[in-house]
Amino acid sequence: MFIITHKKIFLAIAAVITVVSIGLIASLGLKVGIDFTGGSLTEVSYAQAPDKAALEAAIDLAVADLGEFSVRASQNENGESAFLIRTRDLSEAERVALTESVVALGDGSIDRFTSIGPVIGQELRDKALYAILAVIAIIIIYVAFAFRGIGTPVTSWTYGAITIVVLIHDVLVPVALMSVLGYVAGIEVDVLFVMALLAVLGYSVNDTIVVFDRVRENLMANRTEKRTKREEAGIMLEDVTYTLTKPYEEIVGTAVQETLARSINTSVTTLIALVALYFLGGAVTQTFALVLMAGVIAGTYSSICIASPLVVTYAQYRAKKANQTPTQSAPKNT
Amino acid sequence: MSENTTPENAGTQAFLRTFRAIVVVMVVAGIAFWVYQNGTQPESENPFKLGLDLAGGSHLVYEADVSKIDPSEVPELMNVLRDVIENRVNVFGVSEPIVQVESSSFVTDEPIERLVVELPGVTDVSQAVAEIGRTPLLEFKLYDEELAAQQDTLQNLNSLTESGTSSAVIGNVTINGEAISEELPFRDTGLTGRYLETAALEFAGGQSGQLSNEPLVSVRFTPVGAELFEEITRNNVNRQLGIFLDGELLSAPNINEPIAGGTAIISGGFTAEEARELAQNLSFGALPVPIELQSTQTIGASLGAEVLGKGMIAGVIGLSLVILFMVLWYRIQGLVAGVALLSYVTIMMALFQIIPVTLTAAGLAGFVLSLGMAVDANVLVFERMKEEFNRGVSSREAARTGFTRAWSAIRDGNITSLLSAIILFWFGTSLVKGFALVFGIGVIISMLTALVVTRTLLVTLPDTHKSAKNFMSFVLGNGLEK
Repeated sequence: MFIITHKKIFLAIAAVITVVSIGLIASLGLKVGIDFTGGSLTEVSYAQAPDKAALEAAIDLAVADLGEFSVRASQNENGESAFLIRTRDLSEAERVALTESVVALGDGSIDRFTSIGPVIGQELRDKALYAILAVIAIIIIYVAFAFRGIGTPVTSWTYGAITIVVLIHDVLVPVALMSVLGYVAGIEVDVLFVMALLAVLGYSVNDTIVVFDRVRENLMANRTEKRTKREEAGIMLEDVTYTLTKPYEEIVGTAVQETLARSINTSVTTLIALVALYFLGGAVTQTFALVLMAGVIAGTYSSICIASPLVVTYAQYRAKKANQTPTQSAPKNT
Repeated sequence: MSENTTPENAGTQAFLRTFRAIVVVMVVAGIAFWVYQNGTQPESENPFKLGLDLAGGSHLVYEADVSKIDPSEVPELMNVLRDVIENRVNVFGVSEPIVQVESSSFVTDEPIERLVVELPGVTDVSQAVAEIGRTPLLEFKLYDEELAAQQDTLQNLNSLTESGTSSAVIGNVTINGEAISEELPFRDTGLTGRYLETAALEFAGGQSGQLSNEPLVSVRFTPVGAELFEEITRNNVNRQLGIFLDGELLSAPNINEPIAGGTAIISGGFTAEEARELAQNLSFGALPVPIELQSTQTIGASLGAEVLGKGMIAGVIGLSLVILFMVLWYRIQGLVAGVALLSYVTIMMALFQIIPVTLTAAGLAGFVLSLGMAVDANVLVFERMKEEFNRGVSSREAARTGFTRAWSAIRDGNITSLLSAIILFWFGTSLVKGFALVFGIGVIISMLTALVVTRTLLVTLPDTHKSAKNFMSFVLGNGLEK
């Protein structure tokens, strides 16, 4: 009950998190990688690293009309010093020229080369967006379907809609983290990041549904049924009215309480796996792990402290509105 | 599932429970052994399939220009293209190259046809690009007198204006709504390298009009191609048939009579060496449509091995820590969850080998993540079980009720995850598809292991009550409880 009693505080915290996240994303923006914009990425590693300025000069000389490019010092998986060179989309001849000149700087070797045409990048961006939108649509429909007949005092569509509100919160947090990482460390958004977001999406929905499932169960257990029969055009119809035996807030509050241990334990095991991935897995998946950790923490917070308080707040708002205009609303058959 | 508690019956039930538990553990152990055998034996039939980012290699994406092709013919042409390139790639002796067609009509208005070529182990991308680039594009086109006349007129006009005072150049003149192309005045016949069966080097005899012993390339068409060739030559006697190689006009012999039999001679002032090479390249197959390299990706082999090794360590440590946490918190139930989690890992690895799923760095990361999430169904059940157990129900009955009560949450949570996975699989590009597949299978298997392994083992544990205050009742508790 603690969370429902103090729901205003928890919702306020969530609102602050959301606003700060949006602010960060809007002001810092996202550093979009070549997966989506098109371009080339060359990773070259050296046993004895040359000067960054020398490398830049060599690159500029190697390819004519190169335009803007960036060189970032890093380490490859073997712990050797390496450089990540980002340029525009390179042709095969340009690639050869670039490779030869950077390798010549000091016994370097090319660990990785990626070149993506602008069309593929654009298409990938569109597809990622469409996929996310389609997933959101299917979730709202499924939740509304699975919780049909929950009826009192809010409809199953409310649960579906709140699942999505919570989901947006959970996705905003890792995206905000990514824009900070991009700003501070120059980390770029790539396909792996989109996958991390999709995993967060799945985690968030799953977490919220478990809580709502308990709300549903407790609602069924704490209601009385009244059936009234009436005849309309020769057909016998039966109206069923449910009355809750406990206040709605209390039912939801108990549900949150009862699922608390599960919510925390599952997020702990997931975080354990992610921490192992972050520290022991390769550099390639480090950002993936970090983004997911942010998403899982946000998801756990939101399923406990946002989803249920929001349902209760909405139910109270509906009740208040119904009380204010009792004469206007027509008698309803539920 | 109520049990009769007569003594004989109870004995049978206990035996059955133990028997089931043993069978489940044996089956999982059997699968684990099979996975180990397959994964470590050098010549196993179902080894793990590693993606390019783990094995090292090159990934090339070509775009095919199908703008001149009838849309209904595109899929077949792309298949021809794939076979041709596959033949080419097989020349490298690369183990298991992947050549596949990717259409992208889903999102974009204009369908784009791509050919994705994956070459594991090939880190010298220039060599690969050069080798694939050697695939010739052979086209037979008819001389178009009308277009030639139009181009002549345009040229005359231009030369007039150039010689005059005005410096304006007439361009983009259209006749009957069609722009006059600046290309050579030939139009497509539909006869291309796709209808080629074989090609061979020949030397012309000293006939009139030809240099003696001039190197030539003779090509033999497929039956369909032969028919097409005969039809074209029959309808266009006394016109010129241009033979184009990679867009360049090689020769434009006059069609003297309809040619049946399905062979044609390509001459173009070749040296013997050039002709031999062309014949060889043509016999690997010729491109049915022009292609252009759009994106390349190379990953060094040592880098891939490093990523794979680190990913596996992260997986093993992550798995151990998750099991440790479960045992510390849920005690004996945690141990059962640990067995279920190991079963999950085993079955997933077996499926990776059987399907087979290509493992990538992203897939590996997703799998490590799933280790943490897979215990969720167990956690849900244990929490419900605890409620019942604390209420005074016997532990075995509590386990059964726990499963019944937790089912709706497990079901709804997993169905939404599964729906998301299906959508991703539909929409996604190959990389996302792999992730969606692993994610989707993971959801199903984690649910199955919780329902089968966890359940079977839990009901096999000795029955006790919370009030018993003995060892069993302690290990069946959880968290901070005594």
